[in-house]
Amino acid sequence: MADEEKILEVRDLTVKVGNVALVENISFVVKKGETVLVIGPNGAGKTTLFRALIGSVPYSGEVKWGEGASIGYVPQKVDLERDLPITVREFFMLKTGNIGEVEVKEALLDVKLGSEYAEKGISELSSGELQRILIAWAVLGHPQVLLFDEPTASIDIAGQETIYELLHNLQDTHDLTLIMISHDLTVVYKYATQVLCLNKEQICFGAPREVLTPEELSKLYGPELTFYHHLH
Amino acid sequence: MDAGLSLIYILIAGSFIAAAGGLLGSFALLRRMALVGDALSHVALPGIAIALMFNLNILWGSVVFLVVGIFFIWLVENKTKLPVDTVVGVFFALSLAIGALLVTEGEILEALFGSIVDISILDFWIALVLSLAIIIFILYFSKRFALTFISNDLARSTGLKTSLLELGFLLIFALAVAVGIKLVGALLMGSVIIIPAATSRNIARSFNSYLFMSALIGVFASVTAILISVSYDLAPGPAFVLIAGGLFFFSIFFRKN
Repeated sequence: MADEEKILEVRDLTVKVGNVALVENISFVVKKGETVLVIGPNGAGKTTLFRALIGSVPYSGEVKWGEGASIGYVPQKVDLERDLPITVREFFMLKTGNIGEVEVKEALLDVKLGSEYAEKGISELSSGELQRILIAWAVLGHPQVLLFDEPTASIDIAGQETIYELLHNLQDTHDLTLIMISHDLTVVYKYATQVLCLNKEQICFGAPREVLTPEELSKLYGPELTFYHHLH
Repeated sequence: MDAGLSLIYILIAGSFIAAAGGLLGSFALLRRMALVGDALSHVALPGIAIALMFNLNILWGSVVFLVVGIFFIWLVENKTKLPVDTVVGVFFALSLAIGALLVTEGEILEALFGSIVDISILDFWIALVLSLAIIIFILYFSKRFALTFISNDLARSTGLKTSLLELGFLLIFALAVAVGIKLVGALLMGSVIIIPAATSRNIARSFNSYLFMSALIGVFASVTAILISVSYDLAPGPAFVLIAGGLFFFSIFFRKN
């Protein structure tokens, strides 16, 4: 694989707290324009992996981003205080400095929100609206990579479908490489070019239809495997 | 106040200190360190006592002890698993006790509650220059501080060096406490930082108005407190806290949510 195609290379990544490994010996390569889905049961270390990728937790091993690669990150949840006095526009400005009317409108349009949201307080938003604002925030300034950590609950199925469509559209319009955590295997088959199965260790990595065999899924999720079969 | 400066100087110094404190407080509340910040001001007390013993300016004595205290908090937060509240609760109460033992009886009220009406011309200029430096520093870094304190992960994802920003903020916090000790004393300086910002947060909807109102409320309370303390011969520190505290309770009725 030519080096310029790679946007991320991870080798032997391990994150430990004390002597306990949260993720261990993870190695994979992401090429430009791919959609990588990270799947695994609760507590498998998916969010920890993301936090290591953005340098938020100490790790051993290697995380090598492509030259000049900039990253947008949508955390699973942002623990905002309810009375935080900041408008959406000001929140955007924390990332990019001064942005004009047009950019604010575009950023909101990217996530299918009207321009009236610019003057709303962050604390007035519903959790679904907040997630869209966080996505808009992450793609401000046109990063090449978007890391999206899916919320475990809080958003209904219909809402989730539109979030994936939205991300998919963003990927096309912004020329993004997408790395996302998902709990939903149907999403994997629909959107992923690569899938990384994680359960503290790396169980599999590759194209979904090749690597998501019943054996691998059973290693990943245990005996309740049959449930996931139906989704295929 | 016969030996002191004329009232206008005192009002100017008080306003600058309060503006710097209010601005700093807006970020201290984002960082959720209202109580830690308040307790931190007590660390200055042994420094004040030692400075008095050796006839030094109490500002420098406070700065040294506060900076040590700040490093301590930063280390505890970044390098250990100890709960900061617990450590601060024990360590800072100790500082207060040691300080109280070291300071002589006559000076203790001044060290605890402040005496801006007795400041010298040198104190005036020091307060002015340092307050301005704090205000400029905070405004220059305001977006980076805000993002770091609102969400550390988001800040990291944009490449900010968050633990350095944390340390920078805490050091500025220490400096502000040291500067403010003349105004309200070691016991109450935390309130100059916290109460105006808490009041502003109740009424502000945008971030810019939050910062502006924090500084403004601080200045208003400071000017009023100095005028009252001069007229009625009261300690300015407690007067400041009473006025700012009154405004805070008033502002609860105007809360947005």
